Amino acid sequence: MDVLLTRRRSPRNRAMIAGLVIVFAFYFIAIFADFLAPYDYREQTRQEPSAPMSNIRFRDDQGIWHLRPFIYAQKLADARNMRYDEEVTQKYPLTMFAHGRPYSLFGFVPSDTHLFGVESAEGENPPRLHLLGTDQLGRDRFSRLLLAIRFSLLVSPAGTVLACIIGIIFGAISGYAYSNVDSVMMGIADAMISLPTLILILAARAAFPLELPPITAALLLIIIFGLTGWAEMARLTRGLVLSMKQREFIIAARSIGLTERRILWRHILPNITSPLIVQATLMLPAFLLAETALSFLGVGLQEPEPSLGNMLSLSSDLVMLKASPFILLSPGIVIFLFVFGIRLAVRRKTELFT
Amino acid sequence: MILIVSAISFTLLSSAGGDALSTLRENPQISDKTIEGLKRIYGLDRTFAERYGLWLFGAVSGDLGESFVFRIPVRTIIWSRFLNTLIMSALAFVIAVVISFFLSILSVRYRRRFLSGFIETIILLSASTPRMVLALLVLVVTLRFSMSAPAAGEINLFQLFSGAIVLAVPLISVFLAQLRVGLADAMNEDFVRLARAKGLAEWRVIASHALRAALNPFLSIAGLSFGGLLGGSVIVETVLGWPGLGALMVSAVRGRDVPLVMGVVLVASAAVWLGNTIAEVLQLVNDKRLRSDRG
Repeated sequence: MDVLLTRRRSPRNRAMIAGLVIVFAFYFIAIFADFLAPYDYREQTRQEPSAPMSNIRFRDDQGIWHLRPFIYAQKLADARNMRYDEEVTQKYPLTMFAHGRPYSLFGFVPSDTHLFGVESAEGENPPRLHLLGTDQLGRDRFSRLLLAIRFSLLVSPAGTVLACIIGIIFGAISGYAYSNVDSVMMGIADAMISLPTLILILAARAAFPLELPPITAALLLIIIFGLTGWAEMARLTRGLVLSMKQREFIIAARSIGLTERRILWRHILPNITSPLIVQATLMLPAFLLAETALSFLGVGLQEPEPSLGNMLSLSSDLVMLKASPFILLSPGIVIFLFVFGIRLAVRRKTELFT
Repeated sequence: MILIVSAISFTLLSSAGGDALSTLRENPQISDKTIEGLKRIYGLDRTFAERYGLWLFGAVSGDLGESFVFRIPVRTIIWSRFLNTLIMSALAFVIAVVISFFLSILSVRYRRRFLSGFIETIILLSASTPRMVLALLVLVVTLRFSMSAPAAGEINLFQLFSGAIVLAVPLISVFLAQLRVGLADAMNEDFVRLARAKGLAEWRVIASHALRAALNPFLSIAGLSFGGLLGGSVIVETVLGWPGLGALMVSAVRGRDVPLVMGVVLVASAAVWLGNTIAEVLQLVNDKRLRSDRG
């Protein structure tokens, strides 16, 4: 297709590739979250609530440089001000492929290897390495962040797929229907677009118990996204179907006596897939934001399961937020980067299509 | 449209297993008799159709019922909250419109490379910054400059303006993208060439000829954005503690306060519908050709 060719030649190629790299990096994280996360995201410790980031060092307190990075153990020195001191007596070197919490990769390959960890002598519990510190309950925030990325990046595409299916069917019917039916259907779609969706989702959510197990919560979110987010897809599909119906090859297909259903499925839909895919990709950030918003407000995924939204809502602890804003806003930075990546990757194409 | 929305939300809310009384029911000190009495007071013992009929009848005559949690009429709670949300959203809307008009007019007046790059960066950044994160950032800034932490229920100007800016950011990306393309297209039209040939100054050409052509698609986008704006206000108000409709909605959902949820849904849909209607009327005012079509 010539549209694709123009895109390939455009000077914006680099931005697109950068966007794709970001998006794929996030999906890599989502798939291998168990392996990349050093600790269990649910494990709480009384010894280290709200611990700061571990200092990864190359130079010890005597000023000697080491090739291998190491950390010191952190100890809560002042429980009221949450001040931690480092114990410089013993070094704990970092190691790759450390053994830790058992998990199963892809859900079926059992393993207990993690990308990195802290090494210690036999029979001794090493201090924990907290790349982003711990939260109020002493859970490793870095591990939680990785698992949260997994949840958010799996729920929003699932919602997108559902919304696309509804939208494409609705739009195709509307594009094929007679003018009265068509205008009623598009009226419904317009109403869906302009409704205060988040408020409706909240209202719908009020109908279900607030505490839900994670799987049910995820399914509920996916269904809600599907039911509220299909309208733009329907509009686009209808427009494309209408313009396709005018083309000669469709008239030719009709003249050789093909059924309308066959024309729709075999001739029209395959020819409009690429703008539909672009639209679907652009719906992804919207669903990601909706998911984080719901979890943020406490009606999406519930604690202790991590999601980008409920991690951010813990950051409304004002004292912590003032002390270390960047750590607490790290889920927000993740959201920003992911949406930014998608926008970089698919922006050009849409402008060509519309 | 509002009727359908209210019917759907009412059905969903009524079909739910729990209600505001279910927490009371778990309390062993409250007898079943008390709960039955409460049910009768709130009308929960009637059938679904009766309840919806009563609610609808009340809503039409301006009575939205009484909040389960606050024990005062829903209308009084919603009205002041709605005004707060309206102030902040209107301010956000004005900010977004001013910035996007200013930048897009600049971009067609001075066709410089760095300017269009700048605008594209703004579109990209504002489209990918979630309001939630921005609102939290505002909170960080507030704390850093040791301003008084926003107390719940208290209204101050800094809160209003920062909230409005946060609300405006995603709008800017949508408006700016639409206006810039619309204006650039209009600048290639024959009537613009004619206006130039008449000897009008370039500013006049843009302001009174090109802008007018680009205004209608912009208005329809703006009309569609009201719903998103109200949705965004839920987040922003919750984070910044602005006592508006969105924050009210969250607490109503958490408290499973059905009349209050219904009231907010009704007011929000009505507001969005009104906004859309105003946008459509403005389109008719702007473009005489549409008037004959729609009769």
